[in-house]
Amino acid sequence: MAYLLQHVVNALQWGSFYALIALGYSMVYSVLMLFNFAHGDIFMVGAYIGLFVATGLLALGSAGAVALPNWAVLVLTLILAMALTSVVGMLVERVGYRPLRRAPRASAALTGLMIGITFETLNLALLGAKRRSFPALIETTSYQVAGVSITNTKIMIVVISLLLMLALDQFVRRTKWGMAMRAMAVDIFVVPLMGVPINTMAALTFALGSGLAAVAGVFFGQAYPVLEPYMGMLVGWKAFVAAILGGRGSVLGAALAGFLLGFIEIFVAVVFPSTLRDLIAYSVILLILTFRPYGFFGEPYSARLRL
Amino acid sequence: MTTATPERSPVPDVSGRLTVTRALSLLGGVPFLGWLLGGLAAVLAEYLFGLPLALALGLRRIPVLFGFEVMLKAPRYIPGTLVYLVLVYLIPAALVALATARVTDTLAARLLRSPALSMVVHLALLYASIHLWCGLSDYRYLVGRLALIAVMLTLSLNVVNGYMGEFSCSHPGFMALGAYTASVLTVLFFVEDDVFGAPLLPPALGPFFFPLALVAGGLVAALGALAVAIPSFRARGDYLGVITLAFTFVVKSLFENLEIVGGPRGFMNQPNWAGLPTVFAWTVVCIAVINNFVRSTLGKALNAVRDGEIAAEAMTVDTRRTKIVAFLFAAFWAGVAGGLFAHVVSYINPATFGVQKLAEVLAMVYFGGLNSVIGSIAGGLGLTLFSEALRPLEVWKWVIIPVLLVFVMANRPTGLIAFREFDVMKLLGPRRGRKEGSQNVSAQG
Amino acid sequence: MRRVFTALAVLAMAAALVSSGCAGRGAPPTIKIGVNAELTGDIPKVGESCKRAAQMWLADIEAAGGLEVGGKKYKVELFIEDNESKPESAAAAATKLITQDEVLAIVGPNASKVAIPAGEVCNNQKCPMISPWSTNPRTTKDRPWVFRACFLDDFQGPVVARFVTEEFNFTKAAVLYDVASDYPKGLAEFFKKAWEEIHGPGSVVAFESFVTKDRDFSAQLTKIIASGAEFLFTPQYYDEVPLILKQARELGFDKPVVGSDSWGSAELVKLAGPLSYGCFFSTHYAAAGAKGATKEFIDRFKAKYGEVPDDVAALTWDSMRIVEAAIKAAGKITGDLATDRKAVRDAMAAIKDFDGITGRMTFTEEGDPIKAAVIVKISNTGEFEFYKFVSPK
Repeated sequence: MAYLLQHVVNALQWGSFYALIALGYSMVYSVLMLFNFAHGDIFMVGAYIGLFVATGLLALGSAGAVALPNWAVLVLTLILAMALTSVVGMLVERVGYRPLRRAPRASAALTGLMIGITFETLNLALLGAKRRSFPALIETTSYQVAGVSITNTKIMIVVISLLLMLALDQFVRRTKWGMAMRAMAVDIFVVPLMGVPINTMAALTFALGSGLAAVAGVFFGQAYPVLEPYMGMLVGWKAFVAAILGGRGSVLGAALAGFLLGFIEIFVAVVFPSTLRDLIAYSVILLILTFRPYGFFGEPYSARLRL
Repeated sequence: MTTATPERSPVPDVSGRLTVTRALSLLGGVPFLGWLLGGLAAVLAEYLFGLPLALALGLRRIPVLFGFEVMLKAPRYIPGTLVYLVLVYLIPAALVALATARVTDTLAARLLRSPALSMVVHLALLYASIHLWCGLSDYRYLVGRLALIAVMLTLSLNVVNGYMGEFSCSHPGFMALGAYTASVLTVLFFVEDDVFGAPLLPPALGPFFFPLALVAGGLVAALGALAVAIPSFRARGDYLGVITLAFTFVVKSLFENLEIVGGPRGFMNQPNWAGLPTVFAWTVVCIAVINNFVRSTLGKALNAVRDGEIAAEAMTVDTRRTKIVAFLFAAFWAGVAGGLFAHVVSYINPATFGVQKLAEVLAMVYFGGLNSVIGSIAGGLGLTLFSEALRPLEVWKWVIIPVLLVFVMANRPTGLIAFREFDVMKLLGPRRGRKEGSQNVSAQG
Repeated sequence: MRRVFTALAVLAMAAALVSSGCAGRGAPPTIKIGVNAELTGDIPKVGESCKRAAQMWLADIEAAGGLEVGGKKYKVELFIEDNESKPESAAAAATKLITQDEVLAIVGPNASKVAIPAGEVCNNQKCPMISPWSTNPRTTKDRPWVFRACFLDDFQGPVVARFVTEEFNFTKAAVLYDVASDYPKGLAEFFKKAWEEIHGPGSVVAFESFVTKDRDFSAQLTKIIASGAEFLFTPQYYDEVPLILKQARELGFDKPVVGSDSWGSAELVKLAGPLSYGCFFSTHYAAAGAKGATKEFIDRFKAKYGEVPDDVAALTWDSMRIVEAAIKAAGKITGDLATDRKAVRDAMAAIKDFDGITGRMTFTEEGDPIKAAVIVKISNTGEFEFYKFVSPK
């Protein structure tokens, strides 16, 4: 029992990363209808920005200039990383995606892929191939509850991820901005006629999605403190899987699908020999989508799909 | 169908003063046959005088990839290399093409009476040029073959992503299936190997059975394609994209777990049968078959499915059949390309067929142009040669190429040469005095 | 038309004069060495270390005024190519080095997935190649022109198994490895085989795997903890080991963790911190307490690049020096590439007791070195301390 519970806890933590990244992915995807394949690499950029902010703040502290307690450093790191990564996200939108708004969606997907590769290689070229270690901002303590070991970082990550998902869901459903976004998802060409500034809205969407990626990046740095230029590549593709699995237009669905993906990956490794993990996990996803071809919360295909 | 622009000066006029516009209009009067002759002349010039000329210009050897690899590494060779390129490629090609324009134009028109003969003549000339060009250096020989294989991959992906308008991510998976199947067959039957033991058939027979192994690889890939074709009846667009991506992950994981073919350590000892003639022949067949396919009724049905599935259904297009055929067809050629790839490199491992390969193939398709055979040829050849030419830049190469692609996509969102029909007969025909007769031939294409 | 021609001819002549003046012909032939490294792709650090060690070797040669062969000093030139960690690109890079740059010998690639296709090219084109780091037996098998500088999995696996048995008297082992990468997988399997030979079948109680780029190992580690293993063997790269250690400790695994030569980078300690203290791994040399040439190499590398060299750097350094020794032993440079390459290959195969910084090497028939392994313990200050010497059986 404790053994199973332990796996559930593990899956919750791993799933919360997929969920956070898929959330940002799904934001852009739901509103602008485009595959933002650069999202995994924006997540990487967010993690690196977080790393530089955190080490900078810690260095300031040890130099005696402004000594901050570690939790304050974490909060500041989160805020600054979110802000800076949002700027990066808006730049990506402006340079890469805005010219393609009327183009086939797959072309935008390619642009995303290429922007992602640019980020990866630019990082490699400028910072070198060395791995970076993210400073631990929170002293990790393990609790043993009924034979299950949980760390405070794990709890924090899962709780904050859930809170962010709920907040985003409320934002999209309750605010005027959110309403404009949902309207854009329905018809991006009519919405401007209603007085919605779609360029601003698109930038805002990207800012939000990238900010979420930055949160994921900083937390990732806390849980798995080895950063490298290609860290976002595979995660990005898997977030794509989660976002689609959740269904188009459903932010909460993407988050839930992120958790689901985490659970599938972990429990397949538990039940079967772990060498077969990808084989079985992705066969399961293939089957799910064969029988539920619109994801879990998506709406059926309609004629408004371009391309 | 447009006729040749009438205001173009039909007769090459060499007597008067040369102006740029005139030169351009002159070049427009050269038929494809003339350009092939010109290309052959350039390659011949390089073959005969390349090395002494390069040495005289102070270069160490012939610049193999249009001088990129020399100029990027040692800027002091730039003037010499540029002069070399002008003297060896530009001048002989232009001169021969222009000088023979009258003859080749007449010849092209004559040849067109028998399309098959015309094809054979053109292909023979093309192959001769490529053969001479690649024969000068083993490096070119390898890169040339890889580029041709890239053309096959790009073209087959374009069938699904361009013509049918789906976003398929399963090409690395198809390629892996074809590569492993063909490799296992050739190694099992014709090679002394420590896993499969002594060859079952005399190795001398091998080259004759090689096409069969490739076809078998293609068929296995097509069989695998059923796993994505059947879900595509209901799932579309993004959802199908994820299904195809999952397929790639599954295939990669499958081969990682198959110890008999080496697992992650990879599979080697493929015999060296994929020489330039073989790869060229397969590429030509692939282009011809796919071009005919996309211009057939079934090909038009693909476009109908892309532009409106429900409307297509209403107009009696059997969408299920169309989708299944497109996927199996694309997978077959990806499998053949994978088999050739395995025999060119003589080694394959599952990691090769992952998301990195996927990004490469997608880039070639969208860079070259959606819904266009010429675009795919240009995309496959262009990106492969360009990325090889930029090799001296090391890490920065993979900054420059994606930035360039982002730029291309922003300006031409559907790719360089998109939505264009590849009319072979029109290409092979003469440039002036295009007659009704030739158009009828081309319409049958 | 004629005018255009005249202009072009003049231009051509001018260019010829200018560039032939620059090229400085008539100088004695230079010795060209190729380096085929993984500068981009999934293991850029490997390529970077390899490139750095090679450049440091070149700087040494240049400082000495060239490489002396048969009483004559030759200028040395390095050609470094990126193989993008892709098999087809590695083959193209090797072909380019051999046919275009006309190198005498090639060092690299490092990873087996690129060293195997590159080795095929080198063997067919008859150009000596030495891979610093490829552990797959097939890289050199039946290829007289291909050598390597590291020991093979089937040597290292049993070394670790024997060491743990003798040192701790454990009987139950757990293994965690990357199933999609050939080095960890090969080593894990050879270790399992050796361990079960000693302790009987079933004594490897957990044999768990993940896939390259995975960052979460909690499912596998939870299984390992539940299996009752007495220690964990994880032949992973130094960037994954810190994550494995951190997650294992957080899940309550307090037993010893043992590794392999891929742990051998100072980065490991930097990334893992105190978690790594007290762990053991098998490798080629111990950085702390190193003596003689090894210490000198480490110090100089550190001074030049600001980091302690990892195993790739050390093995590349040895590979460069093996090439150097082979060229010297060949006795003379004739200028005819085929002859020179053959002479270098023969000299390399004949090398006896080469005194490298990663151990004393003699090549077998297959071009694999026979050398001893060292067990290193990570001290409580994060130094790699020599612990035990294990020589080949």
